[in-house]
Amino acid sequence: MTALLANSRKVQFSGKHKDVVANAHFRLIILLLVFLGAFTVIAGRLASFAILEDAQPSRTTSAVLVPARGDIVDRNGVALARTIRGYAIRVIPARLLGDKATLSRQLAAIFPDTSEADFLATLTSERPTYLRRRAMPDEVKQVHALGEIGIEFPREDERLYPQRDLAAHILGFVNADGEGVMGMERALNESLTQKSLRATPATLSIDSRVQAALESELNSAMISTEARGAAGIILDVKTGEVMALASLPVFDPNKLRKDTIRFQTNEVTQSVFELGSTFKPFTIAAALDAGTVTDLAVRYNAMEPIKVAGFTIKDDHSQGRYLNVPETLVHSSNIVTARIADNLGKERMEDMIRRLGFDERPHIELAERGHPIWPKRWGRVTNMTIAYGHGIAVTPLHLASAYAALVNGGIWRPATLLKVAPGEEAQGRRVFKAATSARMRQLLRMIVSSGTGRKADAPGFRIGGKTGSAEKPSNGGYNKTSLVSTFAAAFPMDNPHYVIITMLDEPQGTAETSFQRTAGWTAAPIVHKVVSRVGPMLGVVPDEHRDVDVSELTPLLWSPKG
Amino acid sequence: MNDFVPAPIAQLPWRTILLLLVMASFGFVVLYSAAGGSLTPWAGLHITRFLVFLAMAIILSRLKENFWKSIAFPVYIVVVIMLLGVELIGAVGGGSQRWLNLGLIRIQPSELMKVAIILAVARFYDLLPPSQIRTWGAIWPLLLLLALPCALVLLQPDLGTTITIVAGALTIAFLAGLPMRLFVGGGIAIAILAPLAYFFALEDYQQRRVTTFLNPENDPLGAGYHISQSKIAIGSGGIFGKGFMNGTQSHLDYLPEGHTDFVFATMAEEWGLMGGFALLFCFFLLFRWGLGVALRAKTRFSQLCAAGLSITIFFYVAINLMMVMGLAPVVGIPLPFLSHGGSSMMTIMICVGILMSIDRHPGRQGGAFG
Repeated sequence: MTALLANSRKVQFSGKHKDVVANAHFRLIILLLVFLGAFTVIAGRLASFAILEDAQPSRTTSAVLVPARGDIVDRNGVALARTIRGYAIRVIPARLLGDKATLSRQLAAIFPDTSEADFLATLTSERPTYLRRRAMPDEVKQVHALGEIGIEFPREDERLYPQRDLAAHILGFVNADGEGVMGMERALNESLTQKSLRATPATLSIDSRVQAALESELNSAMISTEARGAAGIILDVKTGEVMALASLPVFDPNKLRKDTIRFQTNEVTQSVFELGSTFKPFTIAAALDAGTVTDLAVRYNAMEPIKVAGFTIKDDHSQGRYLNVPETLVHSSNIVTARIADNLGKERMEDMIRRLGFDERPHIELAERGHPIWPKRWGRVTNMTIAYGHGIAVTPLHLASAYAALVNGGIWRPATLLKVAPGEEAQGRRVFKAATSARMRQLLRMIVSSGTGRKADAPGFRIGGKTGSAEKPSNGGYNKTSLVSTFAAAFPMDNPHYVIITMLDEPQGTAETSFQRTAGWTAAPIVHKVVSRVGPMLGVVPDEHRDVDVSELTPLLWSPKG
Repeated sequence: MNDFVPAPIAQLPWRTILLLLVMASFGFVVLYSAAGGSLTPWAGLHITRFLVFLAMAIILSRLKENFWKSIAFPVYIVVVIMLLGVELIGAVGGGSQRWLNLGLIRIQPSELMKVAIILAVARFYDLLPPSQIRTWGAIWPLLLLLALPCALVLLQPDLGTTITIVAGALTIAFLAGLPMRLFVGGGIAIAILAPLAYFFALEDYQQRRVTTFLNPENDPLGAGYHISQSKIAIGSGGIFGKGFMNGTQSHLDYLPEGHTDFVFATMAEEWGLMGGFALLFCFFLLFRWGLGVALRAKTRFSQLCAAGLSITIFFYVAINLMMVMGLAPVVGIPLPFLSHGGSSMMTIMICVGILMSIDRHPGRQGGAFG
């Protein structure tokens, strides 16, 4: 710049020419000022963009990033449901310019899953319709390249479930108007849509890794046993948090189809089952609590079926001898359990069952909760059959919460699908004495270490649990032929932290299960596999040198000499 | 320069060539990144075109002032005929078009007109005796020269190019010494007429661009989309940028025209404020050189011509940058040396070539600036 100004001073002025020169020079200076001015404005604007935006990143971005519906994440922050601004492709047939046949052929080339004839029908209809409710950007680009003004691309809020069918029954889905109609989408609809709350994601209690392991093991068991379905739940016994909850077969909430609607039933919280032998530990615990059983070594007659008021109670695998309490659970004797319940009396039995919450819908945030089938009349026979899990139908979630109370020291807590901060777990209610709970841990561990649940034992994880072969209620009664195999377990038994329930709907005896259909051969191995996989994720380290002390009970188990 | 370098090569304007090379290489790097780390479809072609046009500019720089004087009016007439040709072909073929296909190359005559009008107007004021500069005789030929090209380019319709053509011509008229009151008065008249023009002369899409320019946040997903995304790209670059190949706005296709008109936003996202300032500094050096050529030139024609050509390049840069930053409406003018596109690069390199020619042959007579 200085060079230009210096240069101008050398100008020789003379006469009229001087005016022109001075004038022209003055104008060139004006031009230079315009140059400099424009550069200053541009540089200043550039600096303001770079510096101001950098200094206040939250001002604009946070406003842009508040979704129309809050995200749902798992306990570790993994995204389970998000809202994105997606593209839809909409056609207004009246505005179409091109040849509709050609256009439908071009569209069919872009979307091979819809036929040319279908597109032609859409294009020739009267009213504007969607060609695609949801389209990928490159599909939109291709359709846009067709250059048809009758086709528009509205941006719409799309609910996306990035983990696809993972935890589908927990998450549920939203309808076309963006309202949650199932699962947590429905349960949390208000807080997910409220402007002040939706910026922070809703954190569920589930761990997506544990959920994935549970779903995959249930799925492979369902296939190998040719079962119609499978269900499972893993529950934190100290807080009531659901770590995983699966109902198979699954559906994909991203792509709702007519043929998967029947899979939308949440078998864990919605369907009720006669849960059978998994109930027996409750009867024993109630009897220990009430003091009607004081000595575990006392033997009860299991020689022959009991006949009460024209009803016969018999054992599936009769031992043909007198059984004490540990043997009753290990061999799953209906006869002895019924005798113990008879001694306990129906008032105390019913009181325990009610305190476990079996008389009302399960406690969880979901709206899909099934009502238990409660006996019409709680008589002596009912009391004795309920003792081994017949005559009352509850959901698997009921069972999980009750097992949590059984092993955690006797406190029942409602289950929750929302992450619980340490020390803020729900106030529980006492169902069993702490001493009873400690005794039950020993007994449950014995069933796995030396009883019907042997196939559930994962080395070092100290699993304890009870098998059960349940029957499905149908038409008000129970369907004796459709069997549901259940295994209810907890681990690690020396200091229980988690309850796990696995369930198979009508498993078939296959080579995989040595042609057995019962829970010990079908549902129990799933527990073994799932716990081996998820134990370390849940902070349970396998340790072969630790276990619950069952030495005082082992001698009570009779074994044939020789 | 050392003795063993042949004189014709040693005499080339190396500083200017180096400056141009730096800018074109920067453009190459930005386009390479915009294509996701690929020479195709933009970066390779961009640098090849630049080198070809640079060779052309060096050849142009060997030509002398008299040549430019002699072709000024013939070139103007030829380009007007080409503009007419575009309109006629468009009218016959249906739909408007801006290209003239000459078999081997496609030419955009409106781009050539930006140079042709400078040569023609500079030649006109060169021929005009200084005594007549304040008479009507200095004005009506200018309007005549402008009328036909502007009308034809506006018909295309191409507002951005029209503005550049008018601005180039008016700058020469301003420097040639037309009365100042005309420009002041004209400025006031535009301030009054602009709103009227907005409602009655502009196309619907042009009206939308103006309203969007005035308030882009009104319609961030519609007509304001270009500007909003461009601002996000520039702002997100911060001071040092996101780094080479790390831009998201352009790579994820949020930024429309990220390789042509909005290439500056693509660049600023990855290179930040520092990259932006470096580029501005390069352009500043280029204009300083251009105006320096105008000042050093010794004949009236070469002075007016050099100033006019500098202003033409300046208009590309200024309007493009202001558009990208939301200071001007989106009119579709590329950024010299960075935007991908052959026609505009050809225009700019012709401007540079003529400037180098004037730089090389400053002439003998005393000019308007002394």
